Amino acid sequence: MQVLFLILAAVALISGVLVVIQVNPVRSALYLILNFFTVAGIYLLAHAEFIAAIQVIVYAGAIMVLFLFVIMLLNLRQPEEGGEKQHLAQKISGAALAGVTALLVIYTCTRINLGPAKEMVPGFGSTEAVARSLFTDYLLPFEVTSVLLLVALIGAVILARARLD
Amino acid sequence: MLISYLPILVYLIISIGLAVLIVALSEALGKKTHTAVKDLPYECGMVPISDARHRYAVKFYVITMFFLVFDIEAIFLYPWGVIFKPLGLFGLIEMGVFILILMVGLAYVWGKGALEWE
Amino acid sequence: MVVPLIYYIALSSALFAIGVIGVLIRRNAIIIFMCIEMMLNAVNLSLVGFADHYQAIDGQMFVFFVMTVAAAEVAVGLALIVAIFRNKATVNVDELNLMKW
Repeated sequence: MQVLFLILAAVALISGVLVVIQVNPVRSALYLILNFFTVAGIYLLAHAEFIAAIQVIVYAGAIMVLFLFVIMLLNLRQPEEGGEKQHLAQKISGAALAGVTALLVIYTCTRINLGPAKEMVPGFGSTEAVARSLFTDYLLPFEVTSVLLLVALIGAVILARARLD
Repeated sequence: MLISYLPILVYLIISIGLAVLIVALSEALGKKTHTAVKDLPYECGMVPISDARHRYAVKFYVITMFFLVFDIEAIFLYPWGVIFKPLGLFGLIEMGVFILILMVGLAYVWGKGALEWE
Repeated sequence: MVVPLIYYIALSSALFAIGVIGVLIRRNAIIIFMCIEMMLNAVNLSLVGFADHYQAIDGQMFVFFVMTVAAAEVAVGLALIVAIFRNKATVNVDELNLMKW
């Protein structure tokens, strides 16, 4: 299982770097889909079956389709990264800062005692276990989610069709 | 538990392997001649009229956005369906409120004419 | 053979850092937005790792709601990018300096 995790992690990191360095946004989006799929695989290793399925359906299936549609909609053919050289010092320092922060987080987590791993509960992470929690303990967030989706729907319609009306 | 996902892994490996094999074989064995006409995009025998990368209408974005929002609604229906029986009437009311609020959104976009294609 | 929690934290931190670097060095608003999605994913990954380690389903519930919020955010955010593109004909964040003093 550790081998599988390491393979998936390597693919996730490589595709993540490729998302950042691709000039063409369509390629970035395709590598991001690969990244989402590998993360879904890692969710499976962590006994989060339902979350893994949701990851594929929502992220890889719906969100990335929306991204690709917007890229096609705007059709940016000119190399829009005109000021690539402009803020080189800012970029290098920003990237270094992000890297150092990540290393610090990892270092700190190796130093603190995270406690022993609990025994695997049967059925942990299955759709039923998630459902039980969702419709009892997380009832209010669930209902508020519908309001959030309603607001997103109305907001996006107004923003996208502003000129058409 | 994880073993039940083995078929997906095997399927993935076979499909990736097959794709790589086919591309590599045709690349290795095929004869390559390039002429101006041959390098044109294939459009069922027609001469291409214009570039494929033209700008799409914003209507497609709006439709995909509706898909995204109602996809999330469907995601919530899966776990609900699994424990529908034990939840009983309480679960029905819960999901009823949820769907009712999203129905308001549907009614809004319908009334706004965002579902019309023209 | 269980995957240690620190592996999840390390991968999550690395993915988050890649996302931050993408936000800092790219100037295309769509790619910046994709990097933000990647950062959200990195956080989800660590939540799932912790949920597995402590066998607490709450971590997975958080991931569920983060994904829902991410979907709503993408719908509105991309609509904003489309609206900006209509007004300014660019998605380069360096040229969107209308509100800069």
